[in-house]
Amino acid sequence: MSRKLVVVFLVMLVLTGAMGLKTAVMAHSDGSLIMANGSSPAPITPYRNGSSPAPITPYRNGSSPAPITPY
Amino acid sequence: MPGPFAYFIWFVGILCEAAVLVCALKKGAFRRYLLLNLYMAGLIVVELGRYKIVSEFGLSSTQYQYFYYYSDAILTVILYFALSSLYSHVFSEMNAERYVKMGTLLLLGGTALFTYAVVQQSTARFVTHFVVDLSQNLYFVGVVLTYVLWGAILKLRETRTRLIQLVLSLGVYFSLLAANYAIRNLYPSLSHYFIPLVGVFGTFLPLAWAYAFWRLPEEARLAPSRLAVIPR
Repeated sequence: MSRKLVVVFLVMLVLTGAMGLKTAVMAHSDGSLIMANGSSPAPITPYRNGSSPAPITPYRNGSSPAPITPY
Repeated sequence: MPGPFAYFIWFVGILCEAAVLVCALKKGAFRRYLLLNLYMAGLIVVELGRYKIVSEFGLSSTQYQYFYYYSDAILTVILYFALSSLYSHVFSEMNAERYVKMGTLLLLGGTALFTYAVVQQSTARFVTHFVVDLSQNLYFVGVVLTYVLWGAILKLRETRTRLIQLVLSLGVYFSLLAANYAIRNLYPSLSHYFIPLVGVFGTFLPLAWAYAFWRLPEEARLAPSRLAVIPR
């Protein structure tokens, strides 16, 4: 039983580590993907329509710097 | 359409993948490393399919996009199982195969669940989002698993040269791709240099595996002191 729990713990640890690594690597990503299989040229991401640059976040009006939190 | 350099690298990659199968068959390692060889065979089939679709429909066609990303997800799942088979080899003397299988399935299920939880908010093209994100998440799981396996090899003082070569080359391959991706995003102006490198890196893994099957016999052993000195 304890061995099975160790396996479950390790699985959760690996999953957490992997998703943490993904977040760190993709922090400055432009939305492109890492392709790891073969040497064929990668097409654009299928759910990105066109290659136009992404717009700014819609709830940011203008480019003025954000003030400090009021509270 | 891809340029001549991309075509050249593409065909070199296919040749290297075929070389892995030939070397494994010649040296009698095909069945011993069955999942690794199945991954290479799948890679050859997919690469040829991609070539056919690119030559018929073009690089920016929807057909190529979907074939590329769906086939990539399947290949990533096979690579994940191939990696778990390397775990089985390393832990074979500990009779831990049952636990390796259990962990493999749990981790795959956990990754799929996590991906579903992240992707479920997107209503449009849900399946495509899921497939692409699952492939990406499994890639990072593979990176971590490879590092953990390398740690286990050091700790257990594994001496089988061929096995060490297979694991190390996988680790270097994953690391090269992750580093390339990170640098590309940190310095977008250098993307022109780093994007073609992905294809070049794609030839590294089959080359290293072909070398492992061809030049390193199964009986070859490394002296433990040459690997690392770990205080017990």
